[in-house]
Amino acid sequence: MNAMIGHSENGLNGIQRYGLEARMLIERTPRPGALVAIMLVALVVFGGLPVNSVNAASVPPPAGDEEELDAVHHIADGYYLDFSPIPKIELPRIFIIRDESGSLGIEFFRSTTAAIASGRYDVVFEDDHGAEDDHAEDDHAEGAADDHAEDAGDDHAEDAGDDHAEDADDVNAAGAAGDAGDHGESDDDHAEAASGHSSPLDGILVRRSGEVVLDMSISRHLVFVWIVSLLLIWVALWLAGRYRRGVGRESAPQGRLQNTMEALVTYVRDEIARPNIGPKAERYVPFLLTLWFFILFANLIGLLPLSVTSTANITITGVLAIFTFAVVQISGTKDYWMHILWPPGIPWFVKPILVPIEFLGIFIKPFVLAVRLFANMTAGHLVILSLLGLGFTLKSVYGPTGGYIGAGAGVLFALFIYLIEVLVAFLQAYIFVMLSALYIGAAVEEHGHEHDEGHATHDGHALAVLDD
Amino acid sequence: MEASALAWLGAGIGAGLAVLGAGVGIGRLAGPAMEGTARQPEAAGDIRTSMIIAAALIEGAAFFGLIICFFLQGKA
Repeated sequence: MNAMIGHSENGLNGIQRYGLEARMLIERTPRPGALVAIMLVALVVFGGLPVNSVNAASVPPPAGDEEELDAVHHIADGYYLDFSPIPKIELPRIFIIRDESGSLGIEFFRSTTAAIASGRYDVVFEDDHGAEDDHAEDDHAEGAADDHAEDAGDDHAEDAGDDHAEDADDVNAAGAAGDAGDHGESDDDHAEAASGHSSPLDGILVRRSGEVVLDMSISRHLVFVWIVSLLLIWVALWLAGRYRRGVGRESAPQGRLQNTMEALVTYVRDEIARPNIGPKAERYVPFLLTLWFFILFANLIGLLPLSVTSTANITITGVLAIFTFAVVQISGTKDYWMHILWPPGIPWFVKPILVPIEFLGIFIKPFVLAVRLFANMTAGHLVILSLLGLGFTLKSVYGPTGGYIGAGAGVLFALFIYLIEVLVAFLQAYIFVMLSALYIGAAVEEHGHEHDEGHATHDGHALAVLDD
Repeated sequence: MEASALAWLGAGIGAGLAVLGAGVGIGRLAGPAMEGTARQPEAAGDIRTSMIIAAALIEGAAFFGLIICFFLQGKA
């Protein structure tokens, strides 16, 4: 039993380990030209940022000599960009701080390295228990773990013959063994942190004196939001210019990009906005199109090698959902609020139950919108990562042969999931926009006679379809 | 059993149950939708649209469970 647990700990402990080994696998990924372009955009964006670093130049970039791509990079947020063949690009750190005297201030550093070099911040890894002194604690933890491990081993050897502990001593021993196990594990993680995550980029910065009130650092998800936005602005301006010149209005749209975009735009307008919102749809088409293209582009860019899925971040999807929330509430008619706060045509004793539910529903709907998009994009990438890790897991359990078999099967499965991900990228953008349109439609709907009209047109539409 | 082992166990069982629920839900949704499409191919577009919306809602509920399980696994 114990041996089994040991094996599974070595082989199956979450994605961090996969990431560690997987990065060695993907180390030599070729770089496509499109990514170089995206990378250049990022560099241009960051070239213009102001710098207030103390002595960033004197500090060598961490892990500059061993270039790696970590697989977790695609999912988790972080403070550097990793386009593998070139060194990691560290992103600016911005902290709103309260110093020891209690006054608020803002601190700006060009990079994480510069922030550490300023001497005002300590790096803390998530596995650490305290922030004060890394080295002392490390040593302590190691020593304690070793001692405990020995004790635990002895105890186990003694216990092995007996049945499970009945007297207090054995219970204590078991407790100590558990402790030792925990310590040993965190120690393992430390060793890993020392070998794989040697760079402070993976740690958390904690201020030595005072505290960080708000960490407003530029994260890579934010960078990819900017990249997607710039791409969208460029595409939109380019398209607008073409239509202004008459291409697509007086003649048929020309070229792949214009045809694709026109198909997508008309799809959102005719199939999503108009049927769900009704006569007032035109007002909301721009908003829905913005949502649609932003989510779609972010999802699809996240599927390219070396890039990051910015929609796999709950804050970003949350902001999108807040936009929908605001649009729905602002465009809500009197009928909409009436139906929430005092639903008509319902027995009075149901109202005390229904009204709170309806009221909570206002907030639950956008919350679920955000979580759905976030969870879909995160889960898909996690599945791919787990499948790629299959080879490493099997290798650690069954040796090299198992590793090759696992890697082959894992890559095939991952390819399959990747294709599904392309579908999911479109589907989630569609669902987000579709549900936004539904909520907006419910908010702007005029009840009474217009409601009947809506029904009539809908029936008419169905009949027309039948006639076809 | 160690606390982390319990957390992993809980995460695994929870993820399984969430996926089970979502599978049943989407299955019950997709079966009748296909029947409906077979009986009335003209309405295929409408049926598909409402089916995708309902599937998304079910999936959302399942993802709540999965996210909690994932965090549980990370806690271990």
